[in-house]
Amino acid sequence: MALKGAEIMKMLPKTNCKECGCATCFAFAMKLATGGVKLDDCPYIDPEVKAELEGAMAPPMKLVTIGAGENALVIGEEEVMFRHEKTFFHEPGIAVLISDKESESDIDEKLGRINDLRFDRIGNVLKVNLLALSKDSGSSAPFENLVKKAYEDTNFPFILISENTDILFSAAEMCADRRPLVYPITGENVSAAIPRLKELGLPAGVKGHGLDELISITTQLKDAGVEESILDPGSQNMLEGIRDQTLIRRAALKKGFRPLGYPTMAFPCFMSQDKYEQALTASALMAKYAGIVVISLTEKEFVFPLLVHRFNIYSDPRRPMTVEEKVYELSRPDENSPVLISTNYALDFFIVSGAIEEADMPAFLCIKDTGGIGVLAAWTSGKFTGEAIAEFLKKYDVENKVKHRKLIIPGVAKKLKDELEEELPSWKILLGPAEASDIPKFLAEKWKV
Amino acid sequence: MTYEAPLEKHPVNIREVVLGEGEKARKIGGENTFPFHSFEGSLPNLQGLALEVLDIHPQNWATWALEPFKDVASDPVDWAKKCVEEYGAEILCLRLLSTDPMGMDAAPEETAKTVRKVVDSLNVPLIVLGTGTEDKDSKVLIEVARECSGKNLLLGPVLKGNYQEIAKAALEHGHAIVAQAAMDANLTKELNIALCKFFPPEKIVVDPTSSALGYGMEYTFSIIESIKQFGLVDKDNMMQMPVFSDVAAECWRTKEARESEEQGILWEATTSMTFLLAGANLLVLRHPTALRLIKKMISS
Amino acid sequence: MILIGEDLNVMSDKISQAIKERNPEPIRECVEGQAKNGMDYLDLNVGPQKKDPAKTMAWLVKTVQEYTDLPLCLDTTNPIAMEEGLKISNKKALVNSASGAKESMETVMPLCKKYSADLVLSVINDAGLPSDADERAASILESLEVANQMGIENENIWIDPVLLPVGVDQRQVLSYMEFIQMIPDLAPGAKCVCGVSNLSYSAPKGLRGLLNRTFLVIISRYGQDAGIVSGFDDELIKLNRGEMPEIVELIHRAMDEEDMDISGLPSKEQEYVKTTQVLMGKTLYSNSWLEI
Repeated sequence: MALKGAEIMKMLPKTNCKECGCATCFAFAMKLATGGVKLDDCPYIDPEVKAELEGAMAPPMKLVTIGAGENALVIGEEEVMFRHEKTFFHEPGIAVLISDKESESDIDEKLGRINDLRFDRIGNVLKVNLLALSKDSGSSAPFENLVKKAYEDTNFPFILISENTDILFSAAEMCADRRPLVYPITGENVSAAIPRLKELGLPAGVKGHGLDELISITTQLKDAGVEESILDPGSQNMLEGIRDQTLIRRAALKKGFRPLGYPTMAFPCFMSQDKYEQALTASALMAKYAGIVVISLTEKEFVFPLLVHRFNIYSDPRRPMTVEEKVYELSRPDENSPVLISTNYALDFFIVSGAIEEADMPAFLCIKDTGGIGVLAAWTSGKFTGEAIAEFLKKYDVENKVKHRKLIIPGVAKKLKDELEEELPSWKILLGPAEASDIPKFLAEKWKV
Repeated sequence: MTYEAPLEKHPVNIREVVLGEGEKARKIGGENTFPFHSFEGSLPNLQGLALEVLDIHPQNWATWALEPFKDVASDPVDWAKKCVEEYGAEILCLRLLSTDPMGMDAAPEETAKTVRKVVDSLNVPLIVLGTGTEDKDSKVLIEVARECSGKNLLLGPVLKGNYQEIAKAALEHGHAIVAQAAMDANLTKELNIALCKFFPPEKIVVDPTSSALGYGMEYTFSIIESIKQFGLVDKDNMMQMPVFSDVAAECWRTKEARESEEQGILWEATTSMTFLLAGANLLVLRHPTALRLIKKMISS
Repeated sequence: MILIGEDLNVMSDKISQAIKERNPEPIRECVEGQAKNGMDYLDLNVGPQKKDPAKTMAWLVKTVQEYTDLPLCLDTTNPIAMEEGLKISNKKALVNSASGAKESMETVMPLCKKYSADLVLSVINDAGLPSDADERAASILESLEVANQMGIENENIWIDPVLLPVGVDQRQVLSYMEFIQMIPDLAPGAKCVCGVSNLSYSAPKGLRGLLNRTFLVIISRYGQDAGIVSGFDDELIKLNRGEMPEIVELIHRAMDEEDMDISGLPSKEQEYVKTTQVLMGKTLYSNSWLEI
């Protein structure tokens, strides 16, 4: 929310009458700030003040939805310029471009490949979100066929691209239940587009050459009641994209400038024909605020790094990243290999497993789910105690993976050693090094079956 | 409300650090705005991109990472030459893996002579990195500093546990240093304060420690962004050193970089670009194609 | 401020050994020392206590109560241990703690009600730790509603805004200070408490006391009611008692961002001023904040 609780408080009656259900007006203001109650709950607020508050409380960047149902893409409502200031809230959409000039068999093959662009990473599914369907041929038929085929053969939401406004909206009618983004809405066609946008209830893909043009178009749209827009400032390359998107976001978030208070989109597919450059441009612009990037890449080698990059940048820095709980088999261990145990905080996992794998040492790395918190904190809160670990070893049948009975625990968990020795009398508990990076050295020197 | 471009100007700048000497010397840093924000500030120096050279034959490298250097990988001087002459590197990073106590444990004197040979043969700015083992690096880098006196190398990593000796030698012999702290802005500041008691701040480059794409890249990204914020916006003069990132080592050890050449190159290039966007001023890369790509994209 | 002594803690090898062996001597020493120094409550931190929770807590509370009449703050995440301690507490106990997480509220709040104990209620909830003052406010309002509905009044609740180490997240320390000033309007009648030593968790050992003491004075001014502190920091106790008014005044002036030329001051005074400035967020924290 744009307004802080304390600022809202200034505009309330301050009678602490409790009729809204809160003990004080301050409490009500706090709940309003975080969306817990509605302004309507206060029976004594002045109507003019109410209107002012409603306007001020609206998020500085609009939330926009493309698509419907479980495949819908929701972007916007961002609050910060830097993810470490809080977090980025909505992952940008990655759209793959298909032109109606391509042959039917090429299109089929492409759609197949795009459908396969889904990957699992530490328990999350990474995939592309949208298809960008572009009318490049002279007549409307190929475009309509493309839209029809994409509609029937896939579940993706669409960005429909055509310079011809009538053809654009007839295509939109064909798939209106999947709430496509229609693009471009420009200074030239905005008046004609408005009634069609309203009738179909669609978001507008706004294109302007520079920010002033965008402002003029979004103002007209907003005045006419079209609330959802995505902005393309016409950036020609990565550097322009960084500049344009930074200024748009700053205007929205720091200046409260509503005409630019929308998510943005960029077209790396048009910025470079070189696949590597296109991929780098797409990742750069996602890191620098794009709500949607449109690419023409379909090969795994080029798309997978983009998906991981997006996943990383849009992770919430306030929540520790976690990995799946299980017994990881590193470098082909056998029944004589060492068994180590740690928590599922992702960064620790990467360091520990990375150190072991780089040294090419066979080992069983037991990773226990502690909600992503580290060893000591997990022990204190009961998630990484002797009892919890004994349960883990039983659950994953670790006793049957190795002949020996030695368990290596993180060096910082001294208190755990005694607990474990009581819980697991047939196991010898070895205290590992304090630093994960010393694990290979520790194993090389101290591991003997 | 009329629109006025919300430009932000900062009255301070990141310090400029000179690498190397003579006509091929290169400056990094010096900017008074965020990376690529030439529309609202001044960025006098393009980011520095160094190619990596090892002082031993690479062990266990991905095939396509080794391919560009196959014919020269047994000799650091030849390798360095190829980086400069064929692949257009303006800066090199010599990684002294021979000195690894868990490996060959080469003596400081020999190693320093190898460094000297590389310096003499090419005279491009040279970053010289130890293995991160505090005691050994101390001995090695001090010897390197002495052997290459006056050449203005960039020596590292300098850590909380060994900064006194290494920085002293660097000061005496006219070198710059890479001050490394583990992923924490407070620790970066602490090390800088300790160093600046006797070492010139304009010869310090900070390394907040890097993680590769998919393996913690976002932590590095955010730390670098906050370092820039502390330096430029909060005007903290202990956070105004240029930022260094050793991308090569982290990226090429991932299994993803080993899956295919294209993916390997993109793994390194994407990580690199991400750190440049955050504010890194100097990177170490392994693959010449990644170098070429990044150079092209930041120069346009 | 009400002082709650923190030294009876299983993280101390001496204490955890004594508990394991059922040896009362080290316990006695710790209890009597803290009581003598003027603690108002004693915190009994027994950790997760997976082994024999009921028996261990019973032994500990019984032992402690042989050496003091002070009310106890029972610090464990294990509900069995908690209940056992509550059963035999002589005075009204303080339950440390419940969070806003559903499971915690469901397990711990009924115990407070049953044994008429006070409750430390933290701002953590099922979504984790709130990232700023407003989020803390939203979280505590929800938990308070649950507590109130169960018949636990604000007057029996001690809100814990959760203090993070300044070296881990300086911004959260600023959010902390912003939040505690909201409490009288947010939750009239409730107290505020925290583990003050958390502030200095990653700082150099010799400087932890300075950070803790400075922070105590700052939050005192902002209205904090209680702190869990070291029972053996003489200077902290003196500051709390008003026996060092000049230092307190210096800290207040630094809080108010008065232009101060501290070069003429003795070194201890200079240190308090510099520490205040860092804690108020004037500059980025580093372990060498005194050296700049």
